[in-house]
Amino acid sequence: MSHSTLKNLSLAATMALAFASTSALAETTINIAGWGAKSGPLRSFGVNSEAVMKAAVARVNETGGIKLKDGSKAKLAFKYHDSACNAEQAIAVARKVASESNALVGIGPTCSGAAAAMFGVFQKKVGDAGDTGLQFPILTDTAVRNGLAKISQWTFRNTPNEPDMYDKLWAWVAANHPNLKTIYGGTETDQGHSNGTYSKVIVQAATRHGFKWSKGNIEGLSGKLASGFKNVLASSSNWLQADTNFSVQARAFRRSGADIYIISSHPFTTCGMLKELKRQRATPKLLIGLTSSSSQEVMKGCAAEAEGMIIPTSFAPITDMAKEVAALANKNGGDADLHSAAAWENVMIIKQVMESVGVTGQASMVQKERRMIRDGLEALTTTNGLIGKVTRVQDEGEALKPYVFVQAKAGNWVVIHDPR
Amino acid sequence: MNFDHIDIVQSLIDGVLFGSVYALVGLGFTLIFGAMHKLNLAYAASSIAGAYIGLASITIFAVPTVIAFLVGPLAAGLVGLLIYISCFQFMPRNNMLAPLMASIGALFFIDELIIDKTAGSPITFPVLLPDAYFPVGEFGFRGDLLFVTFASFVLMGVIVFMLYRTKMGLATRAASQQPVASLLCGIPTHRTNSTVFVLAGVLGGVAGCLAAAAVGVLSPLLTLPLTVKGLIVAVIGGLGSIRGAIAAGFMIGALENLFLLFRGVNERDIYVFLVLFLFLVVRPNGIFGTSIDRD
Repeated sequence: MSHSTLKNLSLAATMALAFASTSALAETTINIAGWGAKSGPLRSFGVNSEAVMKAAVARVNETGGIKLKDGSKAKLAFKYHDSACNAEQAIAVARKVASESNALVGIGPTCSGAAAAMFGVFQKKVGDAGDTGLQFPILTDTAVRNGLAKISQWTFRNTPNEPDMYDKLWAWVAANHPNLKTIYGGTETDQGHSNGTYSKVIVQAATRHGFKWSKGNIEGLSGKLASGFKNVLASSSNWLQADTNFSVQARAFRRSGADIYIISSHPFTTCGMLKELKRQRATPKLLIGLTSSSSQEVMKGCAAEAEGMIIPTSFAPITDMAKEVAALANKNGGDADLHSAAAWENVMIIKQVMESVGVTGQASMVQKERRMIRDGLEALTTTNGLIGKVTRVQDEGEALKPYVFVQAKAGNWVVIHDPR
Repeated sequence: MNFDHIDIVQSLIDGVLFGSVYALVGLGFTLIFGAMHKLNLAYAASSIAGAYIGLASITIFAVPTVIAFLVGPLAAGLVGLLIYISCFQFMPRNNMLAPLMASIGALFFIDELIIDKTAGSPITFPVLLPDAYFPVGEFGFRGDLLFVTFASFVLMGVIVFMLYRTKMGLATRAASQQPVASLLCGIPTHRTNSTVFVLAGVLGGVAGCLAAAAVGVLSPLLTLPLTVKGLIVAVIGGLGSIRGAIAAGFMIGALENLFLLFRGVNERDIYVFLVLFLFLVVRPNGIFGTSIDRD
C-alpha cells in the first residue's frame, strides 16, 4: 500500500470518526427512572417490572424515540433502582433520583407501605411555596393499596382499582352462584396490601352484595369501604407473611362452614394455606383470592390446591399486545402480571405526555419539564392499556383499568369473565 | 375466634408435631454451642441453603426425590464447614463477638444469595406423604409431621450416640469443656470443631428438607423465622442440652399454636418471646441446661 493511499485512508477514518462523534453529541437522551424491590423476599416484583420496563423503553427507541419540542427525536433511557420493599429505601431512592439525576419522571415503587411513606415526602399541593417536598412526577406501576396517589399532587398511579374490581366480582358471583350465601376468610396481617384490601375492600364488597359472614354478624361491617375493618380482621383467621404452619387457621376455615373462602395473601402463604386446607379436607364451594396471587408463582407452587380459585386481574395475555409484552418480559428474565405489565403502559403514557407537553431534553429545563409532565399526567382522561382503555380518575391521580376474572384451571389462569 | 376443647387439643397436637421442625433446628444450634460455646446464627440459613441445593439437584439433574433428601443434608454439611472456616476458625478464641457478627453476616449473605438466584420467588418442594392424614375421632394427625417427629428422635439418638459412644464425641466434649487442656493432650480442636459444624450442618440440612417438605414450598422467607425459633428453642432448652432442644422444640410449637388460637396471629409471637424472657429471668440455663466452667 502506497504512502498516499494510507494517508487518504487515515483522513477518511478521521472524518468518519469526527462525524460519528458529532452525531453522538447531537443525539439527545431523555432519562426516566424506575424503582422497586430488587432485593429481599419480594425481589420478583422488581425483576418483573424492570424486565417489562426495559422492553417498553426498547420499543420506544425502536419506533423512533421521543419527539421533542423542536421536532427532533431523542432516545429514551432508564435506570432501575432497588428500593427493596422498604419505606426508608424508597424515600432515599426518590430523593436521590429527584436531586441528583436529570430523570424527568419516575415509575415505582413495589410495595404499598413503601409507596405510602415515599409519597409523603413529595410536595402535597403543586405550587405551594411553603411545602419543600419533592417536586418530581411519579407514575406508579405496582403498589396497589387503595387511594395512595392522592397523598401528593405529584404522585399518580396506573394500578388496578381494587374496590371497583372486587365490587364487580362479588356482583358476578352473586349472579352466577345464587346458591352461595356465606363467606369466611383470612389474610396475612403484616402485609399492607393483603390486609388492607381484605378488610377494607373484599369483605365489604361481599357484604354489599348480600353475602353473610358465616360466624354471625361483624360489628360495624356495613359494606361501605373500610367500615368496621378492625372487627373484620379480628373475626378472621389470619397469618403472617413468613408463616409455615396453617393448621389452626385452616381448621377455623373448615369449621366456619362457609360456602366461600377468601384467601387474601401473596403467593407464598396462599400456597401454604391452600395446601393445609386440602390436607384438612376443607372444601369450600368457591375460593376467592387476592389480585397479587393471580401470578405464575401460585401456579408453580400449588396449582392443584388452587384449582377453582377466582381472582380479578387487570392483566391477562388476551390481546395481541398483551401477549407480545408477556413474551418480551420472559425474554428479559421476568414475568408480565397485573403489577409489572403496568410498567409497559406507564412508559407509553410517559412518551405520550412528553410529546404532548413538548420536552426539550435540556439539562437547564429539567425542573420546569418535570412540572410540565406532572401537569400532563394530571390532564389525561384516558390512556391505552394492554387489555383496553384505562380511565384516569383525575382528581385522585388514580386509574380505572379494564379487568377480567381469571380462574385457576389445570395449572393455568383461565379467563372466565371478560366484561371489557 | 370461637373455639372449643377440640380446637385446643387439636392445636396442641399440630403444634407439638410442627415443633419437631423447631426441635431439629434448635438441636443444631445447641450442638454447635455445646462444642464451642459460640452461637452460629447462620445455622438455619445453611439448613435452608442445603434444602435449596437438594431441590436444585431435582430440577437441574432430574434426580429422584429421595436423592434430593440426601444431597440437601450433605450440601448443608459442606455449607456448615465453610461457615466454620470463614466465621469461626480464624477468630480469636476469647472473642465472642467477632464470630457472632461474622455468622450474622453469613446469614444475610446466604439469604441474599438465595434471593438472587431464585428472584425471591417461592419454589415448590416435593411434599412428603402429601395425603397422609390420620383422623382419630374428632382429631387428626399429619403423616408428614409424624415422620418429622420420628426423624427428630432418631437424629437425637444418633447424635447422643456419637457424642457419648465414639472417640469423636469424646474429643468434642473434651474440646468443649477444656479447650486448652484438650489441645495440650493432642486433640485437634479445629478438626473436632469442624466435624461438629459438618455434623450440625447435615442435621440442619435434614431439618431444612423436612421443613420445606412439610410446607411444600421453599422460600427465602423461611430463613429468619427458623433462625429466631431455633434460637429460642436452643435457649429455652438450655444451650448445649440436646434433650432440652428437643423438649423445647415441641413446647414452643405447642405454645405457639395455643397463643395463635387464643390471641390471634398478631399477638402470637409476643407471647412466644415473653416465654423466652421468663425463662431467661427464672431459669436462665434453660429446661435441662447446666452451667459449665471453662478454663
